[in-house]
Amino acid sequence: MFKDLRVRLRALFRRKSVEAELDDELRFHLDQQVEKYVRGGLSREEAQRRTRVEFGGYEQVKEEYRDASGVSGIETLTRNIRYGLRALRSNPGFSTVAILTLALGIGANTAIFSVIDSVLLRPLPYSDPNKLVMVWENSPGRNPHNTVAPPDFLDWGQRNAVFSGMAGLFDQRANLTGNGQPQEVVLQDVTANFFFILGVNPILGTGFTTENDQPGHDDVLVLSYGFWREHYGGDFSIIGKTITLDGHPLIVVGVAPEGFDWFIKDSSLTGAKPQMWTPWIIPKAFYDRKNVGRFMTVVARLKPAATVQQARVQMNTIAAQIALEYPDFNGNWGANVVPVREQISGDLRPALQILFGAVGFVLLIACANVSSLLLARAAAREREMAIRTAVGASRWRIAFQLLTESVLLAVIGGSIGVALAIWGTNALLAASPRNLLDLRSVSMDMRILGFAAGSTLLAGLIFGFLPSFISAHSSVAETLKEGGRGSSAGKGRGMARSAFVVLQMCLALVLLAGSGLLIRSFIRLVGVDPGFDASHVLTFKVTLPGLKYGSDAKRQAFFQELLSRLSRLPGVRSVTMNSFPPFTGLGAATGVRLLSQPPRSLKDLPVAEVRVVGPNYFSTMGIPLRANRAFNEEELAQARHVAMINQAFADKYLSGVNPLGQKAVIYMKSNDESEKTPSEIIGVAGDVRQMGLGTPSEPTVYWPHPELVYSEMTIVVRTSTDPLALVSAARNELQKMDPEQPMAAVATMEQLLGDSLAGSRFTMLLLAIFAAIALVLASVGIYGVIAYGVTQRTQEFGIRIALGAEDHDLLRLVLGQGGRLVLLGVGLGVILALMLGKFLATLLYGISPTDPLTFGAVALLLAFVALAACYLPARRATRVDPVETLRYE
Amino acid sequence: MPRIDLPQGTLDLLILRTLALEPQHGWAISERIQQISSDVLRVQQGSLYPALHRLERRGWIKARWGTSENNRRAKYYELTKTGRRQLEVEKDAWDKLTAAVAQVLGTA
Repeated sequence: MFKDLRVRLRALFRRKSVEAELDDELRFHLDQQVEKYVRGGLSREEAQRRTRVEFGGYEQVKEEYRDASGVSGIETLTRNIRYGLRALRSNPGFSTVAILTLALGIGANTAIFSVIDSVLLRPLPYSDPNKLVMVWENSPGRNPHNTVAPPDFLDWGQRNAVFSGMAGLFDQRANLTGNGQPQEVVLQDVTANFFFILGVNPILGTGFTTENDQPGHDDVLVLSYGFWREHYGGDFSIIGKTITLDGHPLIVVGVAPEGFDWFIKDSSLTGAKPQMWTPWIIPKAFYDRKNVGRFMTVVARLKPAATVQQARVQMNTIAAQIALEYPDFNGNWGANVVPVREQISGDLRPALQILFGAVGFVLLIACANVSSLLLARAAAREREMAIRTAVGASRWRIAFQLLTESVLLAVIGGSIGVALAIWGTNALLAASPRNLLDLRSVSMDMRILGFAAGSTLLAGLIFGFLPSFISAHSSVAETLKEGGRGSSAGKGRGMARSAFVVLQMCLALVLLAGSGLLIRSFIRLVGVDPGFDASHVLTFKVTLPGLKYGSDAKRQAFFQELLSRLSRLPGVRSVTMNSFPPFTGLGAATGVRLLSQPPRSLKDLPVAEVRVVGPNYFSTMGIPLRANRAFNEEELAQARHVAMINQAFADKYLSGVNPLGQKAVIYMKSNDESEKTPSEIIGVAGDVRQMGLGTPSEPTVYWPHPELVYSEMTIVVRTSTDPLALVSAARNELQKMDPEQPMAAVATMEQLLGDSLAGSRFTMLLLAIFAAIALVLASVGIYGVIAYGVTQRTQEFGIRIALGAEDHDLLRLVLGQGGRLVLLGVGLGVILALMLGKFLATLLYGISPTDPLTFGAVALLLAFVALAACYLPARRATRVDPVETLRYE
Repeated sequence: MPRIDLPQGTLDLLILRTLALEPQHGWAISERIQQISSDVLRVQQGSLYPALHRLERRGWIKARWGTSENNRRAKYYELTKTGRRQLEVEKDAWDKLTAAVAQVLGTA
């Protein structure tokens, strides 16, 4: 064992002297043998000849000796690598194309994987996150992730046996004062067990205790890590200090760990990540289903032995019981259990999966390209390989040599690819819409480098295998005899390269079809009329704290004053406000009872979105009136119990009936209060896309502000110049009225519109980039194959020309060869794309995944580009000089 | 008399046996095998050196450089202690094998 190691090491490190000794030893042997024959009476020449014949290949013996010496594994590898590097250097054109091709493929894959890793794979920052589930309410025909009513949450908590605990929360904006400029912050009101359920401990302080869910003990606060660093400079003495939110003093009892937040898009009322948390004790009034709506987010931890499936079954049973007990409030309502991971990645999952598939295709096309290049080169090196075989290299050794070269190519390409990926990931994040990707969480780490290394190695093996295999199986004698032309290996390579071209064409077509569909869908989407004029509109949010602005009168007066001050600013054309303006996410919705229609139970009422608006809302937004009039001054000053509806409401609930003068109970207040004051419909407005251009308008009811005096309103300013130029003047006016009042969520309507499209634009852009890369790589691929074919057939073309073939005959000949491959590839691609179309369906708007126009266009595009790539070498065929080629032979 | 190529695996045994008499260089080993077997056994010279190296790696023989009868530098191989033991083991196994084969052939 030890001896063995010593011999191996000696052979490895003193390779030169070992080789020399072997040479000496073998030469001695041969000399002895020659002497023996000479003594036997042969001439020296004859003796030498016989000795050589008997001994067999000298090099072959050395090869076998090396194999037996056991170091050959490592030694062969280093030699192969050295040899491979030399081969790559000696052919810089080939190497550059191959390496860049691979770098693109591997880089794109790694960049997308890094995003997928952070969004879909990396563990969430909660302890045992696989045991965490969201529990929603759901009702047929509604959002399956509907927020939860407090009494339902309480009943679920009491009746279930699958959860070790349930936490409930909601988010809101609050005004932070006493720390420099007043500031609006996003606050989550959570049941005191929230951090315990998630299994998250504060890095500073004790956090909430069970005591904090008792009245009088809830005036405490936990800060997010980011907020603590940014606004309190990471001050460790923050614990125990007091922070004033909406006029309430709260004691800081903890700082959450870095990277911890809790943001569930489907249920967020603020659309923003929380910056702090405070305990929330569910008010006694909320135990009664008459006094409360559905607004909570619920997260629960499964008991160690419980599964998601068990939780689903049990929660369905409980929800069914509750529906029987409270038919008015809970009839038709069930419970929906969703694992937290699925919830968080839900929106991104389909897009990311498609993009990952797309980059996988790009890598395959790149591999096919390099493999094809290697095959062409292997043909050129066939004589070299045949000679090596003849002097004693085993087939396996030659295959191994070629494979080493492939992996070498892959490793160099992969390294450049990783650099590209780092750059690409940053570009990806920079281009990605806000709130779509979590900027912090995407980073290069060992997992991603591991992925890159794995895909590199795999790529090297994939594209290296076939060329090595064919070379290793070529017949030595045949190759040497035929001068490397027309050999069986040559035919094998030709077939393989043609197959690669077909494969590339096929994959490129799938990518082109996918991106073509997304582009067409995006154009459709952008072309959708939002229902209002989004240009030159500034929006910002003002949230009045309840303590300071306790009464409806105070709030109404504040907003009236603010609007009138803003309207006097230069550059302002008109000013209004809305409780939930378009493209800012979910708004309030409720049941509506039309008095003209037969009475129904509460649960069966038609549902409508409710928007509370200020003066001149429709003219300022540019929303057309469909019937009668908008609210008048009197209705905007005092509650006159009037409402407007949108066209969708009229179409869906009042089809064939004149809506004007109809009376409707809008259940936005307590049931009694709502029923006492039904609203009269005085006008119909045009539809507005609320949730994004791709989502049709919901039936909507508009109320003037006095009907329901919200404390949180978005101010809408139509300007004659750049809307953002007005921000500081507007803030000035606001703070002249109340220096402690912040201005939040400042954005132009065009920005909001752009943000709502950002997700689609992002996916479309990436897929288009991948498709373009695929198109280029596939064109390079077919160009290479056709050009190689033309070079090989130079003689044939020379003879044809000598025999009188015209240019167009030769063009037709060459293009025909390429055209057959293109046609086959495109045909297979169309079939594959049609089969894969269903995966794209969820991302498409207003277009079928089998849209014939798109398919026709991309097939033509690909065929055209590919034939153009064939045309270049075809031209070369026509310029062959017959005299030259014939003399050449 | 026709020569027989060595059956697989017997070359090692023959090399060990040859070296049991005295240290030898490679050429002499092949010559000796041929002579002793009355020219019946022929060592494929191509396989001799890999075999020698294999045995050296296993520690059954060791090599040193010496001077040949005609005053040339030659690599001499000699049996080590473990090599001597191994020779006994292999010889034993060979005897059993040939006896068994002979028995089968005799009775058949």
